[in-house]
Amino acid sequence: MIGRDMNINQLMAEIDRDILFYDQSGGGVTFTGGEPMQQRKFLEEALLACKERHIHTTVDTCGYSSWENFSSILPLVDLFLYDVKLMNADKHIKYTAVSNQRILDNLYKLSSARAHIIVRIPLIPGINDDDENIEMCGSFLAEIPYLDGVELMPYHEIGHAKYQALGMNYRLENTISPIDEQIGKVEDLLSGYHLPVIKHLSGRTV
Amino acid sequence: MSMTARVKKLRQQSLEAVETLSSERAELITEFSSQDIGLVSSTVHRAMAFKYLMEHKAICINDGELIVGEKGPAPKNAPTFPELCCHSLEDLDVLNNREKTSFKVSPETRRIYKERIIPFWQGKSMRELIFNEMTEEWKAAYQAGIFTEFMEQRSPGHTVLDDKIYKKGMLDFQAEIQASLSKLDYLRDPLAYEKQEELRAMHIAAGAIVRYAERHAEKALELASKEQDEQRKNELTKIADVCQHVPAHAPRNFWEALQYYWFVHLGVTIELNTWDAFSPGRLDQHLLPFYQQGLSKGSLDRMGAEELLQCLWIKFNNQPAPPKVGVTAEESGTYTDFAQINLGGVRPDGSDGVNEVTYLLLDVIEEMRLLQPSTSIQVSKKNPDRFIKRATKIIRTGFGQPSVFNADLIGQELMRMGKTVVDARCGGSSGCVEVGAFGKENYNLTGYFNLPKVLEITLHDGIDPRTGGQIGIATGDPRAFQSVEELYNAFEKQVNYFVDVKVRGNNVIERLYAGYMPCPLLSLLVDDCIRKGKDYHDGGARYNTTYIQGVGLGTMTDALTSLSYHVFDHQTLSMGDFIANLDANFEGNEQLRQQLLNRTPKYGNDDDHADKVMQRIFEIYYSAVDGRQNTKGGEYHINLLPTTVHIYFGSVTGATPDGRMAGTPLSEGVSPVQGADHKGPTAVIRSVAKMDHVRTGGTLLNQKFTPQVLNSEDGLDKLVQLIRTYFRLDGHHIQFNVVDAATLRLAQQHPEQYRSLIVRVAGYSDYFCDLSATLQNEIIARTEHEAF
Repeated sequence: MIGRDMNINQLMAEIDRDILFYDQSGGGVTFTGGEPMQQRKFLEEALLACKERHIHTTVDTCGYSSWENFSSILPLVDLFLYDVKLMNADKHIKYTAVSNQRILDNLYKLSSARAHIIVRIPLIPGINDDDENIEMCGSFLAEIPYLDGVELMPYHEIGHAKYQALGMNYRLENTISPIDEQIGKVEDLLSGYHLPVIKHLSGRTV
Repeated sequence: MSMTARVKKLRQQSLEAVETLSSERAELITEFSSQDIGLVSSTVHRAMAFKYLMEHKAICINDGELIVGEKGPAPKNAPTFPELCCHSLEDLDVLNNREKTSFKVSPETRRIYKERIIPFWQGKSMRELIFNEMTEEWKAAYQAGIFTEFMEQRSPGHTVLDDKIYKKGMLDFQAEIQASLSKLDYLRDPLAYEKQEELRAMHIAAGAIVRYAERHAEKALELASKEQDEQRKNELTKIADVCQHVPAHAPRNFWEALQYYWFVHLGVTIELNTWDAFSPGRLDQHLLPFYQQGLSKGSLDRMGAEELLQCLWIKFNNQPAPPKVGVTAEESGTYTDFAQINLGGVRPDGSDGVNEVTYLLLDVIEEMRLLQPSTSIQVSKKNPDRFIKRATKIIRTGFGQPSVFNADLIGQELMRMGKTVVDARCGGSSGCVEVGAFGKENYNLTGYFNLPKVLEITLHDGIDPRTGGQIGIATGDPRAFQSVEELYNAFEKQVNYFVDVKVRGNNVIERLYAGYMPCPLLSLLVDDCIRKGKDYHDGGARYNTTYIQGVGLGTMTDALTSLSYHVFDHQTLSMGDFIANLDANFEGNEQLRQQLLNRTPKYGNDDDHADKVMQRIFEIYYSAVDGRQNTKGGEYHINLLPTTVHIYFGSVTGATPDGRMAGTPLSEGVSPVQGADHKGPTAVIRSVAKMDHVRTGGTLLNQKFTPQVLNSEDGLDKLVQLIRTYFRLDGHHIQFNVVDAATLRLAQQHPEQYRSLIVRVAGYSDYFCDLSATLQNEIIARTEHEAF
């Protein structure tokens, strides 16, 4: 449940097993977390090993890391999945304990360096789903030189059991997952900024 | 497109009809056999019996139907075959009362059986003859559940047709028979007279089925003359016209092609209760010329073709498998008679076989959603992805159809077994997963072989611990074995011994059918019986294969892996302690059982510890069976599939070293043990693909998903790629079980049995058993919401 230690050879042995499936489907490896940039050195090694094997690589990141870290892995990454949570700096500090300045700067720089990026906005009712935040996101993202896509990640309760199992306090106890109607509304709002919105429906209608 | 009112009504009637045992055929065959017809050869006698059936059985034309003919006097009225298996009154009661796959037996039927059928056939049926001719060794192994015997209640006849009936009428076949007769060389060929008799029998059978069709035409005209509704009157007149033309002549159009096949299907399955899977084969390729011709002439449109096909589907569904009792009922506990419609694959020239009728048939499968006929797609690398994707859209609706086969591998399998390239391309899968050259091969499944039971016997030096009887050979006390090699050697000796016993029995049974139960109608449909003047049962077919189906490969692999790992590699347990715990069914030592279940390498996880054991077991079984000579000039080969026998075999097999409790089911097909695979579908596929499928005649892999995994286009695309990858690795067959909410509830109650159940959670998939109770409940709710 909380992972295990692996060295690069063990990891690549695991990845090698499925090479045929990547070849067949056009898929590859996604580094996610947690936050993969927290283990930047290992990540770089793993990305390099994938590139040696011509495996497509994706890094799923919250963007909170130094630009040096990003620029060092940049040539090895085929696609970034990049979180943008809140545009208001104070609110960002309130909910994540850090400022969003570095995150937004890195996004701009990555795009300027011609990285492929899909921006992902977690949609959490009562926290960042207000029109103001969405509109600020829209106008900020519209200024980014190039994006492959923008998609919403509607809140779900799956983490609840994990928090319990780890003895951690789950602070979104009363938050309810957004329904399709709400998701569609936000997607429409973002589309108004001429962004390449990738639409999803959760299948949840009530 | 949906169903027309006619089809809706017929489909509903088919679903509601109750499976009933009909004494009609038994009465007719008894009447015929009671007549004194003097001395005739057994093959001509069988042809005359068939003719009598065709001339006297009731003609059934149901209101509204376009394709006509029933095996019994009404839908789901199953005929019986007392010359093969004469049901006792007790059998009839069991059939009537059992909970699953029952057949209603009316008091009248019971009386007829008591007064006429049983007194006549008792002591004269093939079933009794077969059991009388088997050795004590055979009987001991059969009773212990080492193997089953397919022919004890049903005749051989597992075969599939090619395209010949769409090009030739029965009159053409009769002309070929005459030509073959005229070529007989009585001076030089000592078998000329026997050939003459067989050919005469075929001639009679061809005429009999034409007469059967004519009787339908007469009945249709009679109904038309009384019919008030103008449209139905016209339809009945059209039916009469169709039945006058086919099967006497080659079909002129789409409707006649379907009706022709249906008469042949009825004829073959009334002549004998062919076990099983008599099928039309590549219906999409066979029907394409008729479809295109109809469209271009304007005499047919897509809707009309669809309705006719739907009517044919209902006819299949109206025919439950012949009533089975005893071990045969256990090994094949289903109403389905395994007719399998094959779609896709390649054409005789090797090019992509998918055409517009393929997609039409896929629509029909999805709309009809019936148990029968069973359907499969034959996937070649030459077929487009959209063909597979269209099929996955049906798969996700959760009725297990169509199943998915690797057409390119099947071609290799068939060629390895001696078929020409073109015959291999025209072949495919039938029944469950078994391969054959369509229209040219007699390939018979003869019985399931219980591999874990043989291990149990090996661990007891030839004794069956259930009964204490010595049923195997003495291969030494395993407690004295110094290495795992000694264990493998002992196991291999036992496998070879039991295969010898089974093959000896088979070789007798094959001759009994050749001698006493020739099948002239089926023979004239299968190349090269007419040319050779030989019966289907007697080596008349171009290719003749006898299969023995290995069962419990996953259980067997995990069991031997466990013994090897704990007793020899790590010495955590002595062989003596191990066997003592198995004999005690792990009583008082649940801790050990959990260790075996959870701390031992398992097949299905891409773990070479276990997968290499699987390869070795495969080699042992393959070497024991493959290449032996049968009595028809062909060879033995293996396949690995269970139908429902893994339940029965499990019930007679004690606790196994993988931690499986006594009496519980074995693993099925080549799938890992239920719940033992926990590294996901790609690991399962990699493990299973380590087997050399090319050297089999079919393997079966089952995978389970919930509907959510497949409810997006993306999910379907991934499934298509999963199939493609398995087939790139030369996997033979894969089927997907899309589970419903009821199953998920069971998984909640018994997580240990559902370890490998994958569910779609939210943008990703996970093992159901690993989710919190709340989330499980949410998924159950979602599944119910999406249930069909």
